[in-house]
Amino acid sequence: MLLSVEPDGPVPIYQQIRDRIVEAIAGGRQPAGSGLPSTRQLAVDLGVNFHTVNKSYDLLRQEGLLRLSRKSGAVVQRDAGSGPPRPDWTQDWAARLQTLLAEAAAQGLPADEIIGHCREALAAFAFPEGQPFALPEGQP
Amino acid sequence: MTAARVIGEVMVPFFAVLMCLAPAMTRPTVAFGVRVPAERAGSPVIRQERRAYLWRTAAVGACCTIAAVLLAGYGSWWLSRIILFVELAADFGCYALARRKIVAVKSAETWYAGRRQIVATDTSWRTDPPRFPVRWLVPALAVIAVTIVVGVLRYPDLPARLVAGWGGRREPKSFLAAFAVVAAQLYVTILWTGLMLLVYRSRPDIEAADPAGSTQRYRRFLAAFSRAVLTLMALVNLSVLLAALRNWQVYRLSGPASALPALPFAVGLLVLAVTGYRVGQGGYRLATRAAGAGGAAGGRGPAAGTDRDDDRFWKAGLIYANRDDPAIMVGARFGVGFTFNVANPMAWLVIAGIVAVPAGLVAIGAAAGM
Repeated sequence: MLLSVEPDGPVPIYQQIRDRIVEAIAGGRQPAGSGLPSTRQLAVDLGVNFHTVNKSYDLLRQEGLLRLSRKSGAVVQRDAGSGPPRPDWTQDWAARLQTLLAEAAAQGLPADEIIGHCREALAAFAFPEGQPFALPEGQP
Repeated sequence: MTAARVIGEVMVPFFAVLMCLAPAMTRPTVAFGVRVPAERAGSPVIRQERRAYLWRTAAVGACCTIAAVLLAGYGSWWLSRIILFVELAADFGCYALARRKIVAVKSAETWYAGRRQIVATDTSWRTDPPRFPVRWLVPALAVIAVTIVVGVLRYPDLPARLVAGWGGRREPKSFLAAFAVVAAQLYVTILWTGLMLLVYRSRPDIEAADPAGSTQRYRRFLAAFSRAVLTLMALVNLSVLLAALRNWQVYRLSGPASALPALPFAVGLLVLAVTGYRVGQGGYRLATRAAGAGGAAGGRGPAAGTDRDDDRFWKAGLIYANRDDPAIMVGARFGVGFTFNVANPMAWLVIAGIVAVPAGLVAIGAAAGM
């Protein structure tokens, strides 16, 4: 998996690392059961503080995406094929999505364009075979 | 003419050539220790400074080599060391001159303004790490074993006073005086193996424009460079063995032939320099193998940003000091090689170990000699 961060960017580095790993899991580049570098190794590779990577991994662990153990290091625990998430998680996520979509609407992005962006993003994810892709084609 | 003297005299032209070629061994996005965006790598100031540096260092090298050859017959063995020191100091002056000009243009024209500066990594470096070439340690260890065997066989027949080191000083015969060479060989072997192991655990030099390709090139660079270092290590041990054999009166050489012990060392240095020149720092001179670059399917396109401008962590463009970076060793910025992160306390622990071990050995030797 290729991972890049913007150390001097506006988003905190731990958040960037967490986001890139979530994207890699969704994109199928880091499937469930695959290993990630240890916190120390990833900190060396990115030239960032050890605690920064620790924080990212801890976030991912709390989200149930990563299993951390002394013996096997960091292992991805869930991916698109691991079945539905907890209902309360979906609620939280829907609230955050609403904010994200509201940002686009508030900036005047037309609804069909918003849907177009959603479709483009979803097309890059590795959903399991046969899972229905229910967004209507062409019309919002 | 002793081996020590020959080494001193060969070093002057050797470093002259090495310093002339150093910019060619360094990747184009780091010009004289200054990080530059890829599109600026061919800008007029850099081309001009590279040309000026080449002429200046060539002149310095030629003058120093002529001086070393002319003065070879006079003075002591340390004369060539002084010439070498002057040569290196002058070369770094040329480096600093070029660097200052490029830094000035870079900041005046704000080369990094509005650029997305990123640090990239390829996690396959950790999940499928490169293997240290353990088998390449065999020649160095074999030479040490031969030294011990010959030493044990020769020891009873040695005279009461032994020649120590490269020649010159004589010491009363003792087990320590006779086997100091083995300690030296072990030190060289353990030091270089340990440093290479640290490098294997550290990060590769990755270009943001092509993370997968540059990781792949770095793997080939590290494989070639570590083998060259381990070869040099074996040849240094061989040089020490050849000097020991003479000190132990296994053979006698006179005239130019007495420089024989220096030969393996010189060959080893040449092998390392040629390897470094062919692969370039981090393997940038290697062509990427087209097949197998599957990592390009990263979430973000390869041209999503430029390499981060990290000049603030590089003092004079040569010394790396980044408190947030847990790395102990990182790739050097000028020429081929590696350097310590001096802001990391662990690096100082390693440096202290490197200094303390020979100091301790000398102290033990002195104490035992009393």
